[in-house]
Amino acid sequence: MNLDWLDAFLVSGLFFVVMIIGLALLLHIQLGLARIANFGVVGFWGIGMYSFGVLFVKVDWPFGDPWPFLISAAFGSVVAGLSGLLVGWLIADLDEDGVLVGTLGFATAVWILATTEQDLTGGALGMGGLRFPYDIGTVKANETLWLVLLIIVVALILYYVHRVHRAPYGRLLTAIGDNEPLARSLGKATFRTKIWLFAFASAGMGLLGAMYGVMERFLETANIGIDITLAAIVGLILGGTARVWGAVIGVAISVGVFDILVQSYLPLPRDWYSQAIPVLREAIFGAVLIIVLLFRPLGVLGDMRRDKLMRSMHGD
Amino acid sequence: MSETPGTPMLKAEAIRSGYHGVTVIKGLDFEVGNEVFAVLGANGAGKTTLLATLARLIPLMGGRIQFRGEDVSDLPPYETAGRGIGYVPQEKGVFAELTVLENLTVGGMIGERSQDERMAEVFELFPDLETLQTQTAGTLSGGESRMVAAGRAMMQDPILLLLDEPTAGLSPLYVDMFFEKITEIHETRGVGIVLAEQNATKALEVADRVMVLSLGEAFLIEAATELTTKQLKEGYRI
Repeated sequence: MNLDWLDAFLVSGLFFVVMIIGLALLLHIQLGLARIANFGVVGFWGIGMYSFGVLFVKVDWPFGDPWPFLISAAFGSVVAGLSGLLVGWLIADLDEDGVLVGTLGFATAVWILATTEQDLTGGALGMGGLRFPYDIGTVKANETLWLVLLIIVVALILYYVHRVHRAPYGRLLTAIGDNEPLARSLGKATFRTKIWLFAFASAGMGLLGAMYGVMERFLETANIGIDITLAAIVGLILGGTARVWGAVIGVAISVGVFDILVQSYLPLPRDWYSQAIPVLREAIFGAVLIIVLLFRPLGVLGDMRRDKLMRSMHGD
Repeated sequence: MSETPGTPMLKAEAIRSGYHGVTVIKGLDFEVGNEVFAVLGANGAGKTTLLATLARLIPLMGGRIQFRGEDVSDLPPYETAGRGIGYVPQEKGVFAELTVLENLTVGGMIGERSQDERMAEVFELFPDLETLQTQTAGTLSGGESRMVAAGRAMMQDPILLLLDEPTAGLSPLYVDMFFEKITEIHETRGVGIVLAEQNATKALEVADRVMVLSLGEAFLIEAATELTTKQLKEGYRI
């Protein structure tokens, strides 16, 4: 297939944006519905990525593709899910500050583990040896197909989140986020619901980490910094934490605009990309976050149901 | 102490509870049958703490609670709710972000009868809720919110309903309506009711028996018709 028309930067940029949309959608179930502010997104994503990478690279696989990838990705996802179960169990009954510290602490622990366990992860030097579970020709063709597969995975996550919103389970999560003692008094096992939610969302984050590892073909600790968490949180809050499409729209107009349009298509001096742009990106994201929270706390999409209701109540 | 009518549904034996090590309920013994059992008392007497303890939202510091002969002292609230204890808190009684209909369906997630059947009964009990069903609960008035909270508790098919000051801060019209509904819920649906109330006059109109709480202790337990103003004033420490 001739892919000359396709810019390689666009493929990797789109891959990053779609992956952050996936993370923001999973975060939406935690933060938007159950009001669990998970600031350790990168920890679950990173532990999934490294667990996948270690198994994929270190094992002398007796089977051909795609089995090494499938088994390793499932392993990464399960490890992330079990981590989510443990962290969820620890933070489920804590207040907002406790959840913030607990999840951030987990992300930091994952980073330290990846840095210090050099025999397994390669430490700060990183770990190579990852590859696509297929070969359809050029690097660009392989990457493009991987992007398509990621879009399918994220579309499935979007479909699932959409279903959750309409299901009794979604109402239960909203009820827990809104008033947990009341939900408990109505016969809802809120603690159990919260830790399983955490485990499931973390497993999804771990799977996205595994897919990112394949796209990069090289794992390094610089990949698992706070910027991944920030990108997902800023995108979600910008779009609207309470809306299914909030994560998609918010990430598209924050990470999408910055990481694709600015980084790939604006004629900026080359040395800006390594130094000024990453700092500027976080500064702009922080400013956007403050402006949105001040002037449109429900995000760009807001809570349309409530907006519509308020308009009808005022006869507009 | 007056006799419990029929077999006791709920039996509290020397129960103690409170918050952060401070004992608010100081060793209460009482039984509730299939009746309207009013809990009266001045502010700070421990009415809200008692109901939250019975709903198992606050851990016991001592004593035990039996519900229909089963010891529920160590059960989490989601299991006591499943056994038929409904609870309507005084404040924050609705899920503000959900619609009225969604609030009701959250209540109906437990129980065996169909949700539609129970919903129809709730709309029959509180007809206003049917017209408000698409409205977000956070935008309701105080009286409407209390109706949603009570309706949601009824969606649980309760055997015993714990109502914590359901008419506090409401207009007289709503107060009258609520007391009528309390009687209707008990008499036509056979639900036992524990009613914590500040409004002693109205509570005594609907209650079979009364417990007057004073600083976390039972000042007296008496048939509603036998309670004298003098006893009430002593219990309220007026």
